Amino acid sequence: MATVQVSEAEKVYILHGIRDDLRVDGRGCEDYRHMEIETDVVSNTDGSAKVSLGHTAVLVGIKAEIGKPRPMAPNEGYLEFFVDCSANATPEFEGRGGEELGKELSNTLYKVFNNKHSVDLKKLCISKGEHCWVLYVDVLLLQCDGNLYDAMSVAIKAALFSTKIPKVHISNDEEGGKEIELSDDPFDCMRLDVENVPCIVTLCKVGHRHVVDATLQEKACSVASLIISVTHKGTVTCVRKMGGGSLDPESIFEMTETGKRVGKALHVPLMKLLQQEESLGTRQKVGFLG
Amino acid sequence: MPVDTRRVRGPEVSQSPLLFACKPAAVFSSHGPRADGRQRDQVDVRPVFVRCGLVSQAKGSAYMEAGDTKLMCCVYGPRETERKDDTDMKCGRLTTDMRFAPFSCPERGSWIQGSQDKDFSLMLHESLQPALCLHKYPRSQIEVNVMVLENSGSVLAHAVTCASLALADAGIEMYDLVLGCAIRQDGASYVVDPTYAEENGNGSDSSDNQGRLTLAFLPSLNQVSGLQSDGEMTEESLSAGVRTCIEGCYKIYPVIQQALAKAVRRAAPPPSES
Repeated sequence: MATVQVSEAEKVYILHGIRDDLRVDGRGCEDYRHMEIETDVVSNTDGSAKVSLGHTAVLVGIKAEIGKPRPMAPNEGYLEFFVDCSANATPEFEGRGGEELGKELSNTLYKVFNNKHSVDLKKLCISKGEHCWVLYVDVLLLQCDGNLYDAMSVAIKAALFSTKIPKVHISNDEEGGKEIELSDDPFDCMRLDVENVPCIVTLCKVGHRHVVDATLQEKACSVASLIISVTHKGTVTCVRKMGGGSLDPESIFEMTETGKRVGKALHVPLMKLLQQEESLGTRQKVGFLG
Repeated sequence: MPVDTRRVRGPEVSQSPLLFACKPAAVFSSHGPRADGRQRDQVDVRPVFVRCGLVSQAKGSAYMEAGDTKLMCCVYGPRETERKDDTDMKCGRLTTDMRFAPFSCPERGSWIQGSQDKDFSLMLHESLQPALCLHKYPRSQIEVNVMVLENSGSVLAHAVTCASLALADAGIEMYDLVLGCAIRQDGASYVVDPTYAEENGNGSDSSDNQGRLTLAFLPSLNQVSGLQSDGEMTEESLSAGVRTCIEGCYKIYPVIQQALAKAVRRAAPPPSES
């Protein structure tokens, strides 16, 4: 993980600030940084989104391909996650350096989506036991400035929202074989219901308090953080303790409560924003990263 | 690569016959007592069997059995660190490796460490690290290897307990033992220390509030060193689950202490009064 060197004096400054609910960049303890979301950014994907949160930038592309359902769940499609830590983000990721972090992030994503309601997997089935849609969710980290989990989960939700899966028709030929026909009309497509897709909230324990959306400097002051993925209803789909320190039970209860509140509050403006962007239609694009 | 043309080789991918069974072998019912006679909604952990120092080559080792879950752990080190490029040499390094024997689960696994095993290794690392006095071992690394011989549920929780026991047996300085406990939330009720069937079963028809939670706990410091959950849970049942897991950890605490005391006594028998 990209790290910064923070001196003792800086640490004390950050710690004392957070104790008084005042962070270095002027936010309160439960505030996010400025977030920008853009969907449909890569034309070769079936759905894509770019999210920047402060100086953290994440690009998610979703490709739908036809595969064979898993034998354990013959009438469901599935999602595959892959996180790539680009060497652009920090030189540490060069070569195989980012592999470990990428594995960690993608394993967490599998956990986050390991429930029945996040994505309706039955909708991804084309014919039982034979064909299904496999959604390859590829996450690319472009810039690291703390709080990768939250940015990543918002980007995935936005990308899933914009995903358009072409409709397919199955016809039986004379010999009893099945044939898959893809619709010619590019507008004849299936959309996913992303209402229940959870967002991740990372809470960093700094001193005796916890902060949402920690920057790298704040992260350097904390020994342990808790990631909580929350749906719009407030259901928790994944919790995980990260970092080398331990937490006392009481602060875990406080943190899950804050996580639920912050996560629930994150979903409403996000969905509104995504629908608003959708209604704007195609727009003139000037530059991509700008 | 030479190809064996004389034999009909099996298909490249094979599946367990269990998938073709009409009914799943072990149905996890959501009512009534559990298959092994334990109670639901109670901190009813499986009786555990623990032994220290079974592997003579290792610095410390432990073997643990809970129901049918069997795992062993070996600790090597502290020894000189392999990676010289590490900037932080003031602290020791802890490396964890958790593997499943290919025959440990109902479906055959591969010998190569999959991404799930890596995830378990990482969780084990994060659960154990807060308990170790790593600053006492500068420029050295401590290796923890866990091998799961039989997976009958709650593997991670027991692996944490077993690994901390092996670390203690190896004489590594620690702040506290680390104990693990897992629960499976099933609607309004829960089962503590779930078996494999309970862990992976579908549970009751209403698919709400179905989740799994594993917790690692430092009993004498009252600190949670590891926490992970998946599935769906309300915040209330999550908090209740954390409390239940802590209670479960206290239940196995005396057994672990006893096993450790026994190992120490065997290593250095008290002077006989003659």
